[in-house]
Amino acid sequence: MKKEIVKRKPGKAKELLLKNVTRNNLEKKIREQSDELATRSGQLKRGADREKLGADRERVSENKILKQKKELNSRSGQLKEGADREKLAEEQIHIRTKAMESTFDGIFVIDAKQSDYPIIYANPSFLHLTGYSKNEVIGKNYFLLYGSDADLRIYEEIKQTLLQGRSFHGEMMHFKKNGEKFWSLLRITLVRDKNGIVTHYVGNKTDTTLMKQRDSEIKEQREELLHVTRVGKLAEFVSSLAHEISQPLTAILSYAQAAQRMLKDREPQLQEILQYIINDDQRASEVIRRLRYLLKKTKPAFESISINSLINDTTTLIMPDIAARDKAIKFDFITNPPSIMGDRIQLQQVLLNLISNSLEAMEGSKLSHEMLIRTSLKDNETILVQVRDTGCGIPEENMKKLFTHFFTSKPDGLGMGLSISRSIVEAHGGRLDAENNPDRGATFYFTLPIIKKDKK
Amino acid sequence: MNNEGSIVYVVDDDASICRALSLLLSSNGYKVETFTRAADFLAFKHTKVPSCLILDIRLPNINGFALQEIMAQRGIITPIIFISGHGDIPMSVKAMRAGAIDFLPKPFTDKKLFDAITLALSRSKVQNKKQAEIAKIKKCIETLSPRELEVFQFVAQGMMNKNIASKRGTSLQTIKVHRGRVMQKMQAKTVTELIGFAKKAGLTSSSD
Repeated sequence: MKKEIVKRKPGKAKELLLKNVTRNNLEKKIREQSDELATRSGQLKRGADREKLGADRERVSENKILKQKKELNSRSGQLKEGADREKLAEEQIHIRTKAMESTFDGIFVIDAKQSDYPIIYANPSFLHLTGYSKNEVIGKNYFLLYGSDADLRIYEEIKQTLLQGRSFHGEMMHFKKNGEKFWSLLRITLVRDKNGIVTHYVGNKTDTTLMKQRDSEIKEQREELLHVTRVGKLAEFVSSLAHEISQPLTAILSYAQAAQRMLKDREPQLQEILQYIINDDQRASEVIRRLRYLLKKTKPAFESISINSLINDTTTLIMPDIAARDKAIKFDFITNPPSIMGDRIQLQQVLLNLISNSLEAMEGSKLSHEMLIRTSLKDNETILVQVRDTGCGIPEENMKKLFTHFFTSKPDGLGMGLSISRSIVEAHGGRLDAENNPDRGATFYFTLPIIKKDKK
Repeated sequence: MNNEGSIVYVVDDDASICRALSLLLSSNGYKVETFTRAADFLAFKHTKVPSCLILDIRLPNINGFALQEIMAQRGIITPIIFISGHGDIPMSVKAMRAGAIDFLPKPFTDKKLFDAITLALSRSKVQNKKQAEIAKIKKCIETLSPRELEVFQFVAQGMMNKNIASKRGTSLQTIKVHRGRVMQKMQAKTVTELIGFAKKAGLTSSSD
């Protein structure tokens, strides 16, 4: 741009030069100023940059702090959580320990890693059960506590089972420290570590002595009842046989004596024969009388009875049968029943007979599951007991014969059960009868007179 | 033995026993009626002659004890001799308590049976006489007018004439007339006899 100006106006060179100098100066100045500006602006920019950097830095550090703060927060939270968890765990351990300490079962722990298998824990029930003190148990081998009377074969069985890596389960006779026997259900299970190595054995001992006793009592009662039933059946059998025989004997005797009277003083020979018939008739009657007397030795023992508890006692005896047949008994009892007078065993016989009949009627049908025993007041003087089943019911043609001797609908039945039951109930001053239910099954019911209060 | 006019009833479900007893009893001069069911006996028209019933305890439908109850309800006063092939004592006790003459376990001899029947028939005679007397008294009572019956009841309760008069609000004389008529209609010779009639007819039983 400078050259162009020179070329165009050479005449005015000085002026131009001057002008140029000035211009140059000016230009220089401008340049300088511009440079300075630039520098300054650069400086400014740098400063701004710096400032920005600082701010950035500040922002970063702020973030960091926030992050740290968060981290800290979370860490403290974790710590708190950890503490809570610890507290909870402690509580649980406490509860578990308490549970172990307070359960009725004897619990013990054996260290499986030590060669002599010492007991390292035993709860109070275990000590109570075995009669040993804590000091006598801890650190000792479990089998040493068995006493010298124990069966060695059981030791072996337990040992072998455990060594094969299986848990042990069995009921056996145990001996306390003082030699006293008790029945115990023993379970020993294995505790393994992460690698599957057995580290401990945990044993659990339940005293089953009372259960065993109750079982054997129930068994005894059942057997007694069965015996009585058998004797009762025999007695009833003989009694009905006696009745059947005494009928023709009565007729024969009367025929012969009528004939004697008709002949009066005639035909002495015939008279004699008639007398022989009479004598032999009476001989046969005597045999029957003696047979009856023999069987009458078991006199009924009448006592005051609560009907509800009698039913409860009786059903307890056959609960196993009922459960085995997958049936159920429901009860609908009158509250505070008045007492009745009766022979406990005989009435139990009646109830058992009715219940087992019902069970048999319900056999083999899924619809027939439940039976009901109900007690109620028929009137002020009579208690009514109903045994209601949901079985096959009674065919109408059998209804009338139901209670007669030797009538049975069962292939192996004697036909004595219901007839005996009826004679027992009648001997108690009651009535035994049956009817079909409107919906399903049949109801057998009997009445028993209540003990009158003024008689007391 | 004078057994004329007496009837012995037999109820036993065993036909052979009925037949045998019938033969035995008639051989001794008794008139006999036998039944194999209680209902048949109840349906039979009973005459008012001395009678007794030989009754088996075990019978179909209505048993011996049930028949005894029905007879009591219907006012059949025939004395009962129970017989049973089940010789149990509680049963015999029950029978005797219910007013039976005897309980004979089967089989029984003719002697035991006849002894029981003799006792039963003599009781039947007494009972029949009593029944006849009561029937006669009741017939007499039916002839009384309502006012006479009232006076009769007061007298039977032991009330004096003047008390009856004040209670009825009539004169003593009227009561005396009524009373005289009652004595006459009731065929009573003395007041004691009259009171006895009232008792027998069951007039005073509820008023004491």
